[in-house]
Amino acid sequence: MRKKLLLSTAFALTLFTFSCSSDNENIDTEYPVIDISGADAFPIQCSEITRGQKLIFKARFTDNAALGSYSLDIHHNFDHHTHSTEVSNCSTDANKQAVKPLLYLKSVNIPEGLKSYDAVQEIDIPVHIDPGDYHFLIKLTDKEGWQSLKGLSIKIK
Amino acid sequence: MQLTYKFQLLLFFLFGFVTLTNAQNNTISGKVTTYDGTPLAAAIVTITNSGKSVLTNSNGLYFFENVTEIKSIKVTFSGYESTKITVSKAQIGTVLPDIKLVPEMKELEEVVISGSYADKRKKEESLNLEIVSQSYIQRNLGGSLMQSLQRIPGVKTISIGSGSSKPLIRGLSFNQVVVVENGLKHEGQQWGADHGLEIDQYNVSRVEIIKGPSSFMFGSDAIGGAVNILPAPLPKLHAFGGNIDFTGKSNNAQIGGSFNLYGRNHNWFFDSRITAMDYADYRVPTDKVQVYNFTVPLYKNHLRNTAGQELDFHTSTGYVSDKFKSIFHISNVNSKSGFFANAHGLEPRNVDNELHDSSNRDILMPYQQVNHFKISNTTSFKIHNHKLETKLGFQNNFRREWSQYVNHGYMPPIYPEDMYAPENLERQYDKNTFLFSVKDEFELGRHQITIGANAETQENKIGGWGFLIPAFNQFNTGLFVHDKVQLKDDWMINGALRFDYGKINVKQYTDWFPSEVEIDDQITEQYLDRAENFSRAFSSFNWSIGTNYNPGKLALKTNVGTGFRMPIAKELASNGVNYHYYRYERGNPDLDPERSYQFDFGIEWKEQKWSVELTPFYNYFPNYIYLNPTAEHDLYYGAGNQVFKYEQSEVNRYGTELQLRYQFAYNLTAEVLAEYLYTVQLSGAKEGYTLPFSPPASVLTGITYNPEIKNLKDTYLTLDYRYTAEQNRIVPPEKMTPASHVFNLVAGTKFKVGKEDINLSLQVQNLFNTRYLNHTSFYRLIELPETGRNFIVSVKIPFSISKSN
Repeated sequence: MRKKLLLSTAFALTLFTFSCSSDNENIDTEYPVIDISGADAFPIQCSEITRGQKLIFKARFTDNAALGSYSLDIHHNFDHHTHSTEVSNCSTDANKQAVKPLLYLKSVNIPEGLKSYDAVQEIDIPVHIDPGDYHFLIKLTDKEGWQSLKGLSIKIK
Repeated sequence: MQLTYKFQLLLFFLFGFVTLTNAQNNTISGKVTTYDGTPLAAAIVTITNSGKSVLTNSNGLYFFENVTEIKSIKVTFSGYESTKITVSKAQIGTVLPDIKLVPEMKELEEVVISGSYADKRKKEESLNLEIVSQSYIQRNLGGSLMQSLQRIPGVKTISIGSGSSKPLIRGLSFNQVVVVENGLKHEGQQWGADHGLEIDQYNVSRVEIIKGPSSFMFGSDAIGGAVNILPAPLPKLHAFGGNIDFTGKSNNAQIGGSFNLYGRNHNWFFDSRITAMDYADYRVPTDKVQVYNFTVPLYKNHLRNTAGQELDFHTSTGYVSDKFKSIFHISNVNSKSGFFANAHGLEPRNVDNELHDSSNRDILMPYQQVNHFKISNTTSFKIHNHKLETKLGFQNNFRREWSQYVNHGYMPPIYPEDMYAPENLERQYDKNTFLFSVKDEFELGRHQITIGANAETQENKIGGWGFLIPAFNQFNTGLFVHDKVQLKDDWMINGALRFDYGKINVKQYTDWFPSEVEIDDQITEQYLDRAENFSRAFSSFNWSIGTNYNPGKLALKTNVGTGFRMPIAKELASNGVNYHYYRYERGNPDLDPERSYQFDFGIEWKEQKWSVELTPFYNYFPNYIYLNPTAEHDLYYGAGNQVFKYEQSEVNRYGTELQLRYQFAYNLTAEVLAEYLYTVQLSGAKEGYTLPFSPPASVLTGITYNPEIKNLKDTYLTLDYRYTAEQNRIVPPEKMTPASHVFNLVAGTKFKVGKEDINLSLQVQNLFNTRYLNHTSFYRLIELPETGRNFIVSVKIPFSISKSN
């Protein structure tokens, strides 16, 4: 009898444990969004920029809760590595060795508590760099640490 | 217990007596024991012609009524050779002679094994544990040891590719689970998800999996559990023989095998093994994969560049006598395996699909090479009441990751010619570990006491052009006492205390390339320090207390205890990009040792035809070390990638495993193995979120049919259906994983060629080639489905060159 009691106690305990799993799951599981579909968004897939000019980066970032930070990265794609998150393929130059390619890195914190943010960033494209195919990477996080990524192919002439 | 035994004996003799006095009585009864006479409980005894079967009771006794026809009876018990004895009709109504079972393995070490080892061990240990033997591994053979053990509820893996995996016990892995081989802690690169466990699964004869904090046994790191690979049993006296294993797998066209040779005269023995394996790219039921937002086409379902090879050597040799034993273990495990080419590196650059797809057996970059060398000596001797044991060991783990140089951050676009590392050597880890332990076991009245101490020193060097973790030295030592008290026959108490001290010295690391640093609007080039020289010391005091209550059919256990884990170098001082994840990992030199409080409960009920086992647990961490994905991006060390920072948070974990067995007929058994786990962070940046790699609930239902076929022995056919629930409780950067339904078919048999039993087993894993995702797979983040249908054939051929007479 004692054994039966023990067995049923064990089962009751387990049931209790299971039913206890609190389900107040108000946690954020949504990714932030990088929107480059706006009329003035730049660059977009296959954009072209001339050396010596300023590249004005424009994009709209949104999130369901709060945005975190974004980072921009321009690096050469002279070897034509795959990167692009976009569908359309741009025309590319022939593969070549890098001599003095442009390297640009920038990371920007978005003011706290914003659900929507229009990012603008001026980027100098120096005259004395290698022209050719480049990648433009946009990384965006929200406050909780979810990250979205966009990889664009651009050409510097 | 004593009373019940006497009572049963009395009953038994009464029946026996009745038998003699009553000619109408049609009973058959007897006793099943091990070769040394210890009764075996729950052995299956079957009358072969009628198929009627019963289980032996806790005293090894069995009893059949109304037997009219009989030719023979058969006894089976897991871990032992099944045995058949012929019974004549004239014997009906009598007590048959004791049936002694012989262990399946070469010979079991007398001191360790008596009775049903697994059963006895489970009943005496108040922590929840599972023990499996070599035959279980052969039955469920997967790509690596841990994959072969995944059927056990509460045990999962974090796998990368088809040949390597790490243990995941109740959702904890990496440095929270200790792997022990031949009594010594295995020291590889436990911290990373991208490298497996350097263990040759053919060389494993028995594994014990402890599902709970076992810090008091194994020190730091055993906070989540332990995989204890027990030493192989010694060869029989004057035996000289061996085994040949052969395995073939269809999915990754793997061929592999192992050759074992052993011998022993009276006191000296050797036991050697060589294992080789070669496999091609594995196949998944999909023709394209999404790798971080871009689509990768797969050629003929092959996961590009996941081929690999392995070559292992082992030797054990030594001197054995009743009072003194000294055994050396030497082993070298070497593997080379490719990473899925499109998912490695900061940018999966230079993936020449055509080149990769021209052969599915070649291993191109990126790939890893791992060599693990071990040498150890275990010496034990008996003085009066004391059994003393010393262990001394050395290990070297040498791991290299090869990948084409890709500049990122401020690295120069062209690799400098005068660099210290070859251009394609991304990372190199070289770890030397010395271990020493000593213990004394003795009995004091009802107390069985073990006192021991151990020490370990580590030297870790790094190489390659990539940087994640600095070089470091580490020293750990611990002192423990364990007391097992037999209160009554069916009550037992386990108590343990342990004190640990550890120290880590992290070494400075400076970038080999300059970065552009902006100070007061002036841009200067600087060589950045990624790690500074620093040292931390930790100490911890742990305890554990538990009870076991085993009154016959019921087995009850409870345990409460603490565990701890010293922060590792990666958590304290990592400062670089993890190329597998596109993320920047930043250590935290101020971390406290992780602490854990766990309550474990276990209840088992075993009847003749069914058994049920339930093992719930509750666990609380005041300061779980957690790699938190932040909202930040880092410019310098992180090359513009998202920052993941080590932090500590309060964590609650609880869950249970449930195992049910029911025998429908003597040759038909059903099993239900289920597990459930819930984890939640109670504080910190991810309050309310779960922990990463939380395995979803799952239920495995298996039906086993054991047909009697002429000339075959121990034939089985098992169909397993595993339902894995969806996992919607995630934490960045994880993705929700849908539920899955997977079927496996397992079959095997033994047949005699000459005097030897040849063991043949067949498996069809993922029978319906189901496309499903595994939440705890390394490649889950890139939406990679699990391995498609896989046929596995494995044969074990024992041979003996000479046997004792």
